[in-house]
Amino acid sequence: MDWSLLFSSYGDVFGSLQVILMTFIGAAGGVLLGAIPGMTATMGVALLIPFSFGMDLIPSVGLLLGIYCGGMYGGSISAILIHAPGTPAAAATLLDGYPMAKKGEAGKALSVAMFSSFCGGVIGALIMTFLSPMVAKVAMKFTSAEMLMLAVFGLSVIISISGKSIAKGLISAFFGMLLCTVGVDPTYSRQRFTFGVKSLKGGLSFIPVLIGLFAIAEVIAGVERIIAGRESAQEKSTEKITRVLPDGKTIRKITPNILSGGIIGTFIGAIPGAGGDIAVFVSYAFNKGISKHPEKWGTGIPNGVAATESANNGCSGGAMIPLLSLGVPGDSVTAILLGAFIMKGITPGPMMYVSELPTVYKVFAALMLANLCMLIVGCLGVRIFAKIVSLEKKVLYPIILIISLLGAFSINKNVFDVGVCVVFGVIGWLMNKYEFPLSPILLALILGPMCEQNFVRFMDLNNGNFGAIVHYPIAIGFFVVAVAVVIISLLNQRKINKTEKANASMGME
Amino acid sequence: MKKILSLLLCAILVCSMAVAASAEYPDKDILAINPWGAGGGTDNCLRAFCKALEKQLGVTITVDNQTGAGGVIGHEAIADAEPDGYTFGTITWELASYLPLDMSEYTWEDFDPLCRVNTDAATVTVNAKWAADNGITDIATFIDYCKANPGEVMMGGSSSGSVWHVAGGYLMNAADIDIKMIAYSDGAAAAVKAAAQQEIQGVTVSLAEARSFIESGDLVCLGVMDTERNSLMPDVPTCAEQGYDIFYATQRGMALPKGCDEEVREKMQAACAAAIEDPEFVETMASLGQAISYLDAEGYAEYLEQAAIDVPAAMVSVGLIEAEE
Repeated sequence: MDWSLLFSSYGDVFGSLQVILMTFIGAAGGVLLGAIPGMTATMGVALLIPFSFGMDLIPSVGLLLGIYCGGMYGGSISAILIHAPGTPAAAATLLDGYPMAKKGEAGKALSVAMFSSFCGGVIGALIMTFLSPMVAKVAMKFTSAEMLMLAVFGLSVIISISGKSIAKGLISAFFGMLLCTVGVDPTYSRQRFTFGVKSLKGGLSFIPVLIGLFAIAEVIAGVERIIAGRESAQEKSTEKITRVLPDGKTIRKITPNILSGGIIGTFIGAIPGAGGDIAVFVSYAFNKGISKHPEKWGTGIPNGVAATESANNGCSGGAMIPLLSLGVPGDSVTAILLGAFIMKGITPGPMMYVSELPTVYKVFAALMLANLCMLIVGCLGVRIFAKIVSLEKKVLYPIILIISLLGAFSINKNVFDVGVCVVFGVIGWLMNKYEFPLSPILLALILGPMCEQNFVRFMDLNNGNFGAIVHYPIAIGFFVVAVAVVIISLLNQRKINKTEKANASMGME
Repeated sequence: MKKILSLLLCAILVCSMAVAASAEYPDKDILAINPWGAGGGTDNCLRAFCKALEKQLGVTITVDNQTGAGGVIGHEAIADAEPDGYTFGTITWELASYLPLDMSEYTWEDFDPLCRVNTDAATVTVNAKWAADNGITDIATFIDYCKANPGEVMMGGSSSGSVWHVAGGYLMNAADIDIKMIAYSDGAAAAVKAAAQQEIQGVTVSLAEARSFIESGDLVCLGVMDTERNSLMPDVPTCAEQGYDIFYATQRGMALPKGCDEEVREKMQAACAAAIEDPEFVETMASLGQAISYLDAEGYAEYLEQAAIDVPAAMVSVGLIEAEE
């Protein structure tokens, strides 16, 4: 560790008004983009790349990292307030965030999300600064075998997010897996379930499905409630937001969740091909698994929000590690960042830490700055964002509907995607009605392709001999952990069901 | 008499309108369709080119990214556009792959090619340790090894059916060897990493994509499938100078929908020819690390015709499609 270089790099970054301004603009834009379903951080970064052409490297990296971090937090705003994750990485935040908002704690949920995002981001940036070479070495050990088992491990989380019925959770997950098979197959380029429809050849677009399942389904359910008179159209939140940061008691309660979430996020983010969308579910399940009260998870507790939001912002630090040290982007945003570096004449890769060390350190500092800017933007915004829930439902639902459909369209500028979004809205509404959990579909959609690609590749590489997996200790390790997770969550589920039964029978007497 | 007069008037009116229209082309903004996403390599290239083209044509050109279905949506949108000269777009290597893969009915013949802008050649890049262990130092020793161990060498090249994946098939055909191509759906970077990890023995991706691991010494590039050495790494030899005429590259070019007026085509072709030499464009392309390899409309059409034969043949070798009887 070259301390003097580290400090001077921090000095350069934090001492430059241009860098601070750019990062701040990026963070503000990122939070806004992230909060709108369908507008992702990836899109924001892609749109702003041309503007960074004329800038020096570090201001433009600051701008892009600002969007990245801001977008990660921004996604949680709509997840908490309107049950529509703004970005895929916020998909697990709504498990507890939305129930919190429904209980009238929208402001608290937002401030917990913001605080956890910031802490997670700082954990990611610190790990990146001090452990980068080591983490990169571990990431280099990940071949197809390890990736396959990492995906299996990710899928083992399903039970923990299934809710009351494991069978229904599994049905949802398999439905999600089935959806992944639509489109051209990743190994032999053969078409599956495309039925001659041109727009299906690339597979179902993930974001329109996501928006449909959550946002549109929620709108349909809301309209149904209004018509049935079960929800008074005038219902208003009475929460008074006295502080923008969570109080000391809450912070003490969520600290373990933030720490573990940040670390899990950073490490999963550091593995190329696995990003925030996976990390949040793993962190959620891990924290639920070690919790003394797993039955409370999913009912609207700040711990659930903290576990997921710290994980997705930790990811941004993690994803920078393979980008800088291997030249392999960890997710779609870092893929675009890679292009930005190359444009400035810097090729990230194994030689980066040798020939471009000052730049590397400045990127570390810029990431830290980006997280700070995100916190400031978040603090300024909490009160305004929280007002959204106090809108009249009759006004709110049409707005959500329009924003959602626009978001679905804007991903590929394709009307077909709007149709996909609506169809999945109806599917999501029906599934909710019959108490099928939606999150397992999402997890399957994220992990299904990763599972398939790495499985088929592994078989291809080993001439069809699956037994060769024994030569990969890390892969075996993941498999063992996956089995353990399944057993623990089954036991937890039994405990939860028992207490519920006991409560019910007590109520009877 | 009145009838004849009015007919005549009409005829004159129509003629004058036609003349006016073509004389003034372009008199409104032009739309450029990009089948690939904003911020990607093709997008950067197209946007820089459009900036230069605007100076020539004197109107605003708006880039529209119509992505999806592996570029099929955008390519078809260009071909289906009104052939009035106000919509054109960028066509890429993938166009030649759609028909064989049953992704689209459209081929290069549904377009009026304007010019080729840029190419990026494939390489034969292998793991340095593996190469040293097996005495592989150049293309000749690599081909000898592959011939001695048919079907054993595994190479990667981005996702299935992509340009670098098919490059492996082209290499097999050109050198008469049998290697196994492994698909990496996460893209070229993932394949390069796998080669550095020795999960596979090598990659067929572009030099720019393998560069950082070549510089670190993990990978070694045996040859570039190009006519000239790459300015990024002038020390790396081409296949041709080692006696193997293997040329394969991804390409990007501009095309109008089929059926534009002669005058419109000529005006656009001339504008493209001038835009390619625009200093700002040349500078941007250099900073993007992209080679400008211009071909005029005629030359580009010939190139596309040849690609429509070579690409399916290479796909047969990779095992993506079956040979036609």
